[in-house]
Amino acid sequence: MEAMGWGDFLVVLACCAATMLVCRTVPLFALKGRQLPEGVERALGFIPPAAFAALVANDLLSPGMFDAGLWSAAAPLVAAGVVALVAWRTKSLLWCAVSGVVAYALLTLV
Amino acid sequence: MLSGDHIKQSFSAALPIMLGYVAIGVPCGILCASIGLNGLQVFLLSALFYSGAGQFMIPNMWLTGSPLASIIASVSLVNTRQMLYSASFAPACKGVKKRLAFLFSATVTDESYGVNTAMFEAGDWSVGRATLVNLLSQSSWALSNVVGVLVGNAIGVPLAIASFAMTSIFICLLVTQKATPANLVAAGVAAAGVFACKAAGLGGPAILVGALAGVAAALAFTWAKERV
Repeated sequence: MEAMGWGDFLVVLACCAATMLVCRTVPLFALKGRQLPEGVERALGFIPPAAFAALVANDLLSPGMFDAGLWSAAAPLVAAGVVALVAWRTKSLLWCAVSGVVAYALLTLV
Repeated sequence: MLSGDHIKQSFSAALPIMLGYVAIGVPCGILCASIGLNGLQVFLLSALFYSGAGQFMIPNMWLTGSPLASIIASVSLVNTRQMLYSASFAPACKGVKKRLAFLFSATVTDESYGVNTAMFEAGDWSVGRATLVNLLSQSSWALSNVVGVLVGNAIGVPLAIASFAMTSIFICLLVTQKATPANLVAAGVAAAGVFACKAAGLGGPAILVGALAGVAAALAFTWAKERV
């Protein structure tokens, strides 16, 4: 494998950083300070539950997840269940992160 | 101007993210070192690009021999979800100075979006404190990446286990959303949308497409409910 040199690196960095900056800043400045229609405000309010569910699903679910065996697919789901319980009881991000890593590590040892 | 109390509040809010970033930032640095990137290059990536998923994708795709254009297109596509976060913060940035709003929006990640959204919803939160959460998180990420490059493979961190810290943070943020019927529709359809995208071989835009489908479904559900 050839190492990535400075030339290739700078092309990747410049292009990825530029597209990322546009995605991160343009929508905010396009909408900032405007009186938004009710429908848009309502849609913005649905972004958090939809985005978090999409992020969780992206980490936990995939069509071939059971190909490597039932347990390898079930372990992260069970650990996710543990985290959900901890989240429901404590609402603490830190406790959720700690309990999730510990639960997943223990389950992968089984 | 941020007071000492505000800085403490920001640090307290950012701490779970910072610890999670150490756990996955070091392996990310190790991966970057494996394709020949040095500490300065990895720091520049973290400072100017700052994307966990993207910074894992670049070395992974380089290792599999993907052409540069393919790497750039795939990484950019995966990060289009940032547009949703940016749009959702627009009301909170109303009346905020342009420079601060720019710095804030330019340093948002999945995790800091979640934490700051929860803090804004709880009330008594400002864009200044939210920006500090972003910058503290970014510092932790950048330093962890550089440490990963410097220590190389001396630390054996199982990536799947370390990255579950981030998954756990997303689960916590999801569980603590208000369980209204419309929110449940948004979450259910978003999750199903991600799975469907992956099944169709569209892993890159899966998060964005899934989230947009969830928002659209929740809007349709609300309008249908109002008409009844």
